[in-house]
This record gives sequence, C-alpha cells and structure tokens, in this order.
Amino acid sequence: MMHDSPYLKPEAAAAAQRQLEAFAASTPSIALAVLTSSDGFELAAYPAQLAVAQRIAAMSSSLQALSEALAREASLSNSRDLIIESDDGTILVLGLANTAPRMSLAVVASNKENLGHLLWASRNCCKSLESGLQA
Amino acid sequence: MNTPQELKIVFTGPMGAGKTTAIGAISDAPPVSTEVRNTDRHAHSKELTTVALDFGQMLLEDGTAVRLYGTPGQQRFSFMWEILCRGAIGLILLIDATSATATEDLRSFVETFQRFTPDQPLVIGVGRVPQGESEPLERFEQVLASEGVLAPVFGVDVRKRDDVLLLIETLLCILETRIEEPTDDA
Repeated sequence: MMHDSPYLKPEAAAAAQRQLEAFAASTPSIALAVLTSSDGFELAAYPAQLAVAQRIAAMSSSLQALSEALAREASLSNSRDLIIESDDGTILVLGLANTAPRMSLAVVASNKENLGHLLWASRNCCKSLESGLQA
Repeated sequence: MNTPQELKIVFTGPMGAGKTTAIGAISDAPPVSTEVRNTDRHAHSKELTTVALDFGQMLLEDGTAVRLYGTPGQQRFSFMWEILCRGAIGLILLIDATSATATEDLRSFVETFQRFTPDQPLVIGVGRVPQGESEPLERFEQVLASEGVLAPVFGVDVRKRDDVLLLIETLLCILETRIEEPTDDA
C-alpha cells in the first residue's frame, strides 16, 4: 500500500507513477521500480500494488543510509548510487537530487540488461522524477 | 573468567524510545548514525528517525571493547533486527513510559527479540517515568512476569551517561554470573 506522505501531493504521486511505468516500458529488463522516501516508505511503484514493494522501499532506504554513513566514514563526499549485482540480476538505489524530504529510486532488473545501460536509463528516470516533483 | 576482548550489545525498542540518544551518551567516539527526516508524524512527532542502525563503541577499564548497536524501532525495518542481533551477548530494551502503548511495546519487543536472542540476558530501561507514582515500574514488571521473562527493569534518563552505563553494567553482571555459576548439566 502506498504511503500517504504529507510531503507528496496525490497528483505528484500519480505523475511519478506514470513516469515509473514509462521507465519500465522503455527498459524491458525492469522487474520493479520503487520511489521511496528516505525513511523507508513507498511513494510510487511499478508494478503498482505489489506487496514486496513496501519491503524493498524499507530495505533500500536502510541500504542507502548505510552507504551514506560508509562514505562519510571513508571521507568520501556524497554517496550517489548503490549497485548490487547478483547472478540473476541487478539492484540499483539512486538518490534523487533536490527533493525534500530526500527520496530515492530503487530498481530491480534482470541480468538481460547491460549495467551501463541500466544505470543510464535509471538516472534519466531520476531526472524526470526530479523535474516532476519540483514542478 | 577470561574477559572477551570484544562484546556486542544491541539496543532496541520502539520509535522514540531513546536508542540513538543512549548510544550517543556512552560511546567513546561520535556514533555512526543513519538518521533521516521522519515523514510519519502520526507514528511519532520527532524530527529524525533511524532507518538502518546506530553504532558506537566504548572501552571498559579491563580493555574490553563493547560494540553498541542500535536498531530502528519501526516494524517496517524489522529485517534489520535479526541481522543486528547476530553475535550479540545481550539486549537492552528501551521503553518510553509516557507512550500510550508502552506496555504493549514491551510485550511485543520481548516476544519478538526472544526469537533472535533466546539465551542472551535482557535488561529493560524505562524512560520518562512519571514522577510521583509509588511503583512506576510495576506495570512493566507485571508484563515481564506474564511473559515468564526474568529481566531487571530500571527507570532511566538515556541522556545521562551514568544511567545508560547502569544498563550496560547490569547486563555484564548477569552475563558474568551465568558464566561463573555451573548449570545443572555441567
């Protein structure tokens, strides 16, 4: 179930939902894409109404917070993307710029996609989400 | 007793119970924090919330390093609870006495974490205990008794280093007693 965030108007959530659908349509390897608040709530998802999206949202926010803490400990500046590669596919967690509260996009894709292309397409999706959320 | 060189203790409890504050009160170095802005003000009014873990460390007088891990409090982060409890020698459960769900929280967390740390000692720290009550901790002790759990309960202010140290020292005392007392099987 989507989180009714006080920081995201219903029309913005609906627009984000459409952008995720367009992202998945143009990138067939995408199995799941979830727009997530930094405190672990699902704000929009493709496919919609998938129970696992809530868990992916919580887990991806934890991982992103951990990766940021790790980057700080290593004296690196802002952690940008998190990439998990498995035998069957790839998980990306990408932070969205200039969103308040901060949001991220979690992407689960099959291994049919080249990692570089998946990153490029996912970053483009983040940009269009950022534009839509700032509008 | 041979003193282990490293010990792991986990702080848990519901959102807003003071886990991050408690670890910050006793850690020798600034703790690793994964706090982000809390967007769920229905659950709690606080500004920030932990989404992965807190991590601090303190050195005991005998040279033992105690690693302090704090869990997120919300159910949606429960996947972190089992991960963080791996290898822990004990659990400190913090409860906010002013919460409307304080006793339910205690029961729920005790039941859940007994699955992750079934044999490890447990110490309860109750924060924001109302002044003037004759037995302010009694209702929490009754919950533990009804669950068949033997664990000490303390009223604490997690902002105070000595209060948090009391919880740690009690946990270590229980552990030491268990090691020194031969069991029936021995």
